[in-house]
Amino acid sequence: MRIWFLSFALLLGCSTVKETATLSKSINIDVEELKLENGLVALIVRNSKLPIFSIQTFYNVGSKNEVPGITGASHLLEHMMFKGAKKYGKNKIDFIIEGSGGSTNAYTTNDMTVYYENMPSSELEQILDIEADRMENLLLDNEDFNKERDVVLEERKMRYENSPKGQIYIEMMSAIFKGTPYGRSVIGEIQDIKNVSRDQMYQYFKRFYAPNNAKIILVGDIDITKAKDLIKEKFGKISSSPTVEKAHKELKESDFIPNWKESQIISRKGESPNPLFMLGFTTYKSGHPKGYGLDVLASIIGSGKSASLVKQYVLIEKPIASSIYASHQSLEKTGFFSVGGELIKGINLKEFRDDLVKKLISFCETEITAKNIQKVKNNYLALLYSGLDTNSGLAGFLGERQVVFGDWRFYKSELDIFDKVSEQEVKGLCRETFSRPSVLVSVWNKNK
Amino acid sequence: MRNKIIFALILFKSISAFSASFLNNVKRDKWGDLEVVWIEDDKFPRYNAIIYFQDGALNEEFSGLTQASFEQMSSGTSKDSQEELAEYFDFYATKLRRAVTHEYSTYSIQGLTKDIVPVVTKVCEMFKDAQFPEVELKSYVSRSKNQIKSIVNSHSTLADRVFREVTLTGTPFAKSAEGTLESFDKLDSVKLKKRLNELNKARKVLYLSGPAEAYKLKEVISKNCPWSSEKSLKKIELTKPETQSAIYLVPVNGANQAQIRIGRYVTANEILGKNDSYGFLAGFLGGGFTSKLIQELRVKRGLTYSAGAYVSMQRDYGRAGIMTFSKTETTPEAITIVRDIFTDLSANKIDLQEFKHQQGHQIGSFAFAFEETNAFLTQIMIYDHQNRSLSELEKYPQIIAALTPEALSQASLEAFPWERLTIVVVGDKSLEKTLSRIRPVKILDYKKFL
Repeated sequence: MRIWFLSFALLLGCSTVKETATLSKSINIDVEELKLENGLVALIVRNSKLPIFSIQTFYNVGSKNEVPGITGASHLLEHMMFKGAKKYGKNKIDFIIEGSGGSTNAYTTNDMTVYYENMPSSELEQILDIEADRMENLLLDNEDFNKERDVVLEERKMRYENSPKGQIYIEMMSAIFKGTPYGRSVIGEIQDIKNVSRDQMYQYFKRFYAPNNAKIILVGDIDITKAKDLIKEKFGKISSSPTVEKAHKELKESDFIPNWKESQIISRKGESPNPLFMLGFTTYKSGHPKGYGLDVLASIIGSGKSASLVKQYVLIEKPIASSIYASHQSLEKTGFFSVGGELIKGINLKEFRDDLVKKLISFCETEITAKNIQKVKNNYLALLYSGLDTNSGLAGFLGERQVVFGDWRFYKSELDIFDKVSEQEVKGLCRETFSRPSVLVSVWNKNK
Repeated sequence: MRNKIIFALILFKSISAFSASFLNNVKRDKWGDLEVVWIEDDKFPRYNAIIYFQDGALNEEFSGLTQASFEQMSSGTSKDSQEELAEYFDFYATKLRRAVTHEYSTYSIQGLTKDIVPVVTKVCEMFKDAQFPEVELKSYVSRSKNQIKSIVNSHSTLADRVFREVTLTGTPFAKSAEGTLESFDKLDSVKLKKRLNELNKARKVLYLSGPAEAYKLKEVISKNCPWSSEKSLKKIELTKPETQSAIYLVPVNGANQAQIRIGRYVTANEILGKNDSYGFLAGFLGGGFTSKLIQELRVKRGLTYSAGAYVSMQRDYGRAGIMTFSKTETTPEAITIVRDIFTDLSANKIDLQEFKHQQGHQIGSFAFAFEETNAFLTQIMIYDHQNRSLSELEKYPQIIAALTPEALSQASLEAFPWERLTIVVVGDKSLEKTLSRIRPVKILDYKKFL
């Protein structure tokens, strides 16, 4: 059975400026859906090319749900989910998954926590049984819990404390989203990681780990009828969380809007011998129509060797930066646009910042062209194909949309919006964004 | 657990069936001097072309020359400027990548199939007519030197770089293929053109995948690329490294965690015919959350977040290594635990359950090697470079199933003889005292490795 059908709207000839890319018609995915009475949603896509499949379990919980004192709880809980449950006890889960040839891991973001496994087809029932067991009956063993705090503290050192690039990211999130849940780091404060109690974690788990806060995505060599029956059997009896809906409703969008008004410059001492910088502007939440225009803007000015920023600062006779990029990150409740990179030794950071802001505003008039917009669409199509090449890639693509937008089909609307992004619209967004106050964070060993 | 292993073994026949069918899809051809390996894949309208050059950093005049030749090809031809080339490839959503190892190099092109003819024609123009203009080259040198100086921003990358040089000192593989602060100053247009000309004459193999229409590259390449296979490689004298079994401490400011690398140089003779048992050893030690290193260091003691192992080979040399990290206070303990693991393995103190578990894992995960055509294509290229038959790949599950704990013990003894292993630690200077209780410590200045 074929799983997705590609209509090659772009295959009529080479890409030209006048050609209209129809991204929305480029991909169709055949998805089977299942919704249980306890609120669990499952999406299933069959691909029988190889005797393997991927399963991803999305929980709508992340650092957005944490409060001071338990920062990092979502991430620490992610680690504890591999430590055992009632049926699959201490240290059993990894051994069962890997022993059959599978692999597993997980990640936590500001908005969600995702568990993923790539498995041989024969292991469908086994993995569903494990996911159901740990959704309902996590052990949270005290001894393991204390050891895992140390592991997370080492992860924190590796990613942030001993990495100037990690340091700058944490500082930027803290400054640009100051006073909002997004200002707190996903990995958590050191003291909170050390002090959060087992009871606090258990309460957190019981509130957010429930079928009415989870989506299961299966892609691969699976018998769809059998998969549906197994999901009903394993998860159908698990109670939904009576408090999770309230918890999500309590997160008002207004609580995520930072209230600073003036531009800020933050200098942090770090071990980088050259100044690292990140300039940030607040933008819009995931799914907001303006967000897609900002994605296009970020690509035009900061992606690839022909990007405006690269031409201005990197590929010049006397380079000012050794690397530079632009990015637009949409989170569930809000978003931010950033320009970052590494300066050449001897470049004055303050002068660079003033010049950068002026150039960004000038780009709105000079760089937003029909050709550049078409270039972004061509690249987005190539990226889409790469992302959907594996069972795991497709499962992640569907799951993110199901969690954030409540419907996996939202990708069609997204592609449709991309198709319609116009020169005038991106120019307007460019002027709007870069005339806002900004946050500049730098990390350098010469900073005090 | 036991049932699972039996089940995995029963699956041999079906595994062999699909691996054989995948290998049957691999077609070999010759387009003039150019050897071609082709896999038709119509899942998406995109292609991947990896051009393998049997010529790498071993043959370059100075460190980083080959890499700079590939990278700076796009800095201008007599027809197009750097900016025009960048605009061209970005517009067609083309990814151009290069990789230089000591024994071989690759240049890869990925893009949408509809654009394959103009894109590859333009790539051929660069190979034929790259001018390496001085202004763009000066800028490249400035940026590259700046980036090397920033290597201290990643303690892990710094540890890898120092470990490589320390374990390979005295061999032709010691110098970095990426260039050094000193070698970047030697770059000029004449040397880059000469090096590119050598690469154009080296033996090449094109590894290509995509829909059927991607095969029309044959005409494009024959007509436009200046490639031949007339250059023969000079014989490299393989010498043994000069490193001692000390601990090399590389102090970095402000570190509250130490990066640890443990391992050694491996010769081709040592690994001949043992690729799979060494691969199994690497998986047993560091493959996944149930591996020996993760269980001992992370799960039982909470000393680290990650740990890995490899026994990697090119054709004439390789390296066996362990990589992990730990907080400053527990770094000596982490090293001691690694030592104990090797002591037990070498003495054949192997838990049969753990051994069977790893067999189940490696056999069961075999199918994933075929999921991404690009990864499969790269795997074929590596087998070809090592002069290994693809039938070895097909038989991999059977080979793993036939391994014994004794074979694992022997592989450990050969690849990781504790007294001959070099240890590199990148971390706080205070570690000198505590590490000296394990072995003599030599302090190295990281700036000498840039």
